[in-house]
Amino acid sequence: MPSASSGSHKAGRTLTVDRVAGGGLAVFAVFVLWQSRALPLGSLANPGPAYMPMALATLLLAAGLAIAILGRDTPGVGSLGFGEWRHAVAIFGACAFAALGLERLGYRLTIFLALLFLLGVVERKRPVVGVVFAVGFAAGTYFLFDTLLRVQLPRGPFGL
Amino acid sequence: MAAALRFVLLAVLGVLVASSLAGAQDAFPSRPITIVAPFPPGGVADLTARPVAAAMEKVLKSPVGVVNKTGAAGAVGMQSVAVAKPDGYTLLLALSSISIIPEADKIFDRKPAFTVDQFAPIALISADPTVLVVPADKPWKSARDFIEDAKNRPGQISFSSSGIYGTLHMAMELLSHGAGIKLRHVPHAGAGPALTAILGGHVDALASGPAVVLPHIKAGKLRALAGWGDKRVAALPDVPTFKELGYPDAEFYIWAGLFAPKATPEGVLTRLRSAVRDAVNDPDFKAAMDKLETPIAFKQGEEFQRFFDADARRLADGVRKVGRIAP
Amino acid sequence: MLETLHNLAVGFSVALSPSVLLYAFVGCVIGTLVGVLPGVGPLAGISLLLPATFGMDATRAIVMLAGIYYGAMYGGSTTSILMRIPGEAASVMTCIDGYAMARKGRAGAALAIAAVGSYVAGTVSVVGLMLLAPPLAAFALRFGPPEYFALLLFGLLVLAYMSAGSMVKSLAMAVLGLLLGMVGIDQMSGYFRFAYGVVELGDGLGVVPVAVGLFGLAEILATAGQAVQPKVIEPKLRELLPSRAEWREAAGPIGRGTVLGFLVGIIPGSAHIISSFVSYALEKKLSRRPQEFGHGAVAGVAGPESANNAATSGAFVPMLALGVPSGPIPAVMLAAMMVHGVSPGPLLIRQQPELFWGFVASMYVGNLVLLILNLPLVGIFVNLLRVPYPYLYPAILTFSILGVYAVNGSVVDVWIMLGMGVLGYVLRKLSFETAPIVLGVVLAPMIELALRQSLAMSDGHYGIFFQRPIAATLLVVGLGMMLLSLRTFIRRGLDWRARMALAEKGES
Repeated sequence: MPSASSGSHKAGRTLTVDRVAGGGLAVFAVFVLWQSRALPLGSLANPGPAYMPMALATLLLAAGLAIAILGRDTPGVGSLGFGEWRHAVAIFGACAFAALGLERLGYRLTIFLALLFLLGVVERKRPVVGVVFAVGFAAGTYFLFDTLLRVQLPRGPFGL
Repeated sequence: MAAALRFVLLAVLGVLVASSLAGAQDAFPSRPITIVAPFPPGGVADLTARPVAAAMEKVLKSPVGVVNKTGAAGAVGMQSVAVAKPDGYTLLLALSSISIIPEADKIFDRKPAFTVDQFAPIALISADPTVLVVPADKPWKSARDFIEDAKNRPGQISFSSSGIYGTLHMAMELLSHGAGIKLRHVPHAGAGPALTAILGGHVDALASGPAVVLPHIKAGKLRALAGWGDKRVAALPDVPTFKELGYPDAEFYIWAGLFAPKATPEGVLTRLRSAVRDAVNDPDFKAAMDKLETPIAFKQGEEFQRFFDADARRLADGVRKVGRIAP
Repeated sequence: MLETLHNLAVGFSVALSPSVLLYAFVGCVIGTLVGVLPGVGPLAGISLLLPATFGMDATRAIVMLAGIYYGAMYGGSTTSILMRIPGEAASVMTCIDGYAMARKGRAGAALAIAAVGSYVAGTVSVVGLMLLAPPLAAFALRFGPPEYFALLLFGLLVLAYMSAGSMVKSLAMAVLGLLLGMVGIDQMSGYFRFAYGVVELGDGLGVVPVAVGLFGLAEILATAGQAVQPKVIEPKLRELLPSRAEWREAAGPIGRGTVLGFLVGIIPGSAHIISSFVSYALEKKLSRRPQEFGHGAVAGVAGPESANNAATSGAFVPMLALGVPSGPIPAVMLAAMMVHGVSPGPLLIRQQPELFWGFVASMYVGNLVLLILNLPLVGIFVNLLRVPYPYLYPAILTFSILGVYAVNGSVVDVWIMLGMGVLGYVLRKLSFETAPIVLGVVLAPMIELALRQSLAMSDGHYGIFFQRPIAATLLVVGLGMMLLSLRTFIRRGLDWRARMALAEKGES
């Protein structure tokens, strides 16, 4: 099977997609094995809390190594399209802010700020549109859940 | 860009100004009270909490809501109230497991999720003794038969429970220690699966709250051998208590009580206590509990404290005796 | 038979009385709404409305709560198809082919097939409930820990059939999911595993945050920043409903999904998600064009959707026939019954015929109501796709965070969702499938518990699995299937090597 990228042909040969993936899984498996050693293992007739995690981690280790070894012919890591990573990081940042602020700043304020950020900064929509959307959504979803469905949503210091 | 920023700031300011800031606090309660039920909906805690909330709402003339905060056999909900603001607006409807969980944490050398002295007890609402049930097709006709058989075949008779160190498990453990028998424990993920297991004949015994098993006893699928209470269960008058049979250590109640964070001011606590006392006497509440076949066992103040301490001590002892199950 | 019809007539007279009808309708509407919202599932919906039912009489209350339950199953497919976010955990499988169909412009068809499939499944399984409840329930009770273990192992083997790409990769994802499912309190020994002091992780990561994160958030992270937004082909009005060919394709899967879902649903303790996974794998195995799966196969929507609706009715069988809670949702409904003074138990059908038959009849009615509700809504929902993506995805994000938070009022769940979102994003880039992870997270605690319970029951002897007829049968069948699939794998491997040899000969 001819390799896709000719330019990074030589450099990409060592760090193929599957090798990275398989390697990552293998590392995670070793981590789990390491963390399980604090739990009692038990025996085959009476498995302890560590038994199944260790068995699974061993399986994962084997699978990860298999993927890495068989992954010689997959495209190099460089060919992966991570073009949207900045966007993704920004979105993740907004969500993380939401998670942090949900119980501290209250639901409506947090969602308002997060949406404002997403629409205003990330998507570069006009600020009026952003504000209207953010206020509408924050208030609207709050009403839907808190008043109609009676799910208690956290209120922050400003009563929001 | 600067114009946009100004717009955003104005908008935020506008929202803040528009929102009504909380007014000055006057008499308690001036806001809705939340009772945290640390178990999933449909369970004992939940079913007790809702009538209590409804009745208290009538007495306090202020909304009282129930929130289910589940997880870790009740630890999540209990912990959330332990660290909540002690202003009387967050209460806990706890089951007897409140005394078990910190002990279990201790024997695993874990930092306890909460400790019992992080709570101020308000009142006991119900206390159901557990009953020992076996499938109707088993040969044991009385508790004595069961215990005799268990002594002859140590570790052969199996029982299900709602989870290790759970209420149903601890009840059985108290019996085992008191009667000197050894049973085989098959933990399940909750009281529902534990009941299903015995109905399917996959285990030999179960310690259960009476309300849940009554229909099955009446239908002839299960047989009740004895109860863990001080007195016989009203709905099962022919079923003796373990106390009567000579095993006074086997006393266990699945009780439900209302708690507040420890630092709640005394005035607020008094108000809450009197509210609960009135709520328990409310006819609607009584009717609701009747439907659930759960007798109201109201205790307050000194009485509750004594009951709670004795129960906590018993359970802590039991947990320590069980210790860690070494595989 | 005559008695059944007579009882059914009584039931219908109860169910069609205006007030009961109203409550069924209200329940269905709320259920659909709850199902459409990501994360918030039927359990949350029922728990929310349980207190509101305290003032009503028992039949109305149960009818409304049941309406929420199966309404949520209808609604769950909507977000799955339109936005690849599972409306509730059991709709995860619909996300895969449903969304692919939507991308091809067949969103209306997918929604319609899901609605009709759910209707057929719901109605047929109610018939099953009606005619066969007591004997089925007795059979279901015979499923103890050894039988669960055999059944769940069987479900794991199903994962082998789900691999669209490399088998090793799917296996790795399944194992990863199983490992993630190990987080939490070990039910057998009381140890906290991999929780690092966070009490909220005591019950595990939770399938809702995992599913919404892996599918919903990962999707958004991957597509929001694309220079060219994925063009969703906007369907014309004519093309809103499925073509005749599509209906033909859907018929078989609907039938099979119904039977499968119903059977899985009657087993106490089985999760609905298992029925949709098994249905998907079954359809893929039986399909003449298995390579279509993952790219918009009609059977990939029809089968799982029917299965999870049938499982809903199946879950009522042990609940009504024996008073046994077959899962968290029937447990809440049993509690609702108790609160209203109806004591659930084996004698329920005999002692409370109006309740049982009224309930059964209301399920017929409810399913019909939902079909009528959902089909016209297809047009409205499809128009949601016209909303420009930069506005759509913040809305989706809000609902996802809200939904995940609302399940248990816990911010930890939101963090889990975020973490799984990143994981899903990375895995997509590395071309791994994420569906097996969700199945693994659901199955892992169940299968481990079943194994260790069985060993506790038998005092450590593995023979228990073969001494019990149901467990033994399931294991043998499962092993047989595994060997068969191994045979095709080996044959495929030999073919591959032969092809490689030919290719090399050709090149040289």
